[in-house]
Amino acid sequence: MAELMSHSDFRVALEQAFAGTMAKDASFSRAWAAGKLHKQHFVHWATNHYHYIGPFGDYLGLMYANTPDHARDAKDFLLQNMYEEELSDDRHTDLLIRFAEACGGTRAYVQDRNNAMPFAKGMQGWMYYVSGRENFVVSSAALIVGLESQVPSIYRTQYPTLINEYGFSEWEAEFFDLHITSDEIHGERGYQIVLKYADTPELQQRCLHYVREAADMRFAYTRALYQTYVEPDLGPWVEEDERQPALVG
Amino acid sequence: MPRIYFKTVDRYVEFAEGEEVNVLRMAIREHCDVPWQCASGNCGTDRLLVEDGAENLDPPRRRERARLGDLVDAGYRLACQTYTRGDVTFSWDPDQVGLDDEPGSGGGSRAGWAGTG
Ligand code: FES
Repeated sequence: MAELMSHSDFRVALEQAFAGTMAKDASFSRAWAAGKLHKQHFVHWATNHYHYIGPFGDYLGLMYANTPDHARDAKDFLLQNMYEEELSDDRHTDLLIRFAEACGGTRAYVQDRNNAMPFAKGMQGWMYYVSGRENFVVSSAALIVGLESQVPSIYRTQYPTLINEYGFSEWEAEFFDLHITSDEIHGERGYQIVLKYADTPELQQRCLHYVREAADMRFAYTRALYQTYVEPDLGPWVEEDERQPALVG
Repeated sequence: MPRIYFKTVDRYVEFAEGEEVNVLRMAIREHCDVPWQCASGNCGTDRLLVEDGAENLDPPRRRERARLGDLVDAGYRLACQTYTRGDVTFSWDPDQVGLDDEPGSGGGSRAGWAGTG
């Protein structure tokens, strides 16, 4: 039977729960950071990403409804997060479509659900399920710690490549710049809520379970992006340092 | 270990060698009372004067340059937009509000109403 962990031990356990399966290490992310992708690949990425994170306000709204009144700070955080996704500035999905258009895509193509992979629809369904059916602290662990807090580590590698190697302007790539920093803060606030309200061993273990599941889901989804759209053009992904001996030899 | 000195509240926050950390994230994590609102470079509530260690900070990107304007040359950075990889010292006015808000308008720290305590 698990014991109740201290906040610091629980935080380390949460960080370790997704350390081995971070989406930044999946083949699509690695090819992106290495400057290997074509603009058409980015259109597919944006389309799938739209169907995965487009309803983020919905997911947060379900979590808000599941959060009890005594956890006022958690409710306020969810509301703030929702507002920032949708209203505080450019709508985040509009920034995503701006990027897709800079790659030659169209709003209609991105928004058409028929153009998304089954994996993207699976991510969306999983997020509706967790946010609608789970205890708010567990869904916060899954969606905010397990998924949203990974975002800065992904985009901090990919954003400079977009500007310096792929030649996008800062305006075209604003979606990424915005999320590098806003998701740092959302992720941190998510940690604080989970640390505070996961106050039984059972809740802590359930949070860890869902953080692992979230990381696995996102990793599999990101790998599927490569297999579906990039592999037919570039072949299976091989890291540069593994590629090198073959080229020399 | 490198550390951020939040001079206004006299707090040091350490982080691992070789890491780059977001300044506002560290302030929130360690409850250092940096005022903030939007976390996305819009409001300017979290502007900090860099007193030392500017060479350890990443250069300001478009949103931060647009929001701060001349304040960048005066040594200010937005905590939410800034990453550091080494020692740095920041100070600020504890009562400061967003750059578009009037003092006393309530446009200051969101930590007050959304803090997790
Ligand atoms: S908190 Fe608004 S600009 Fe940083």
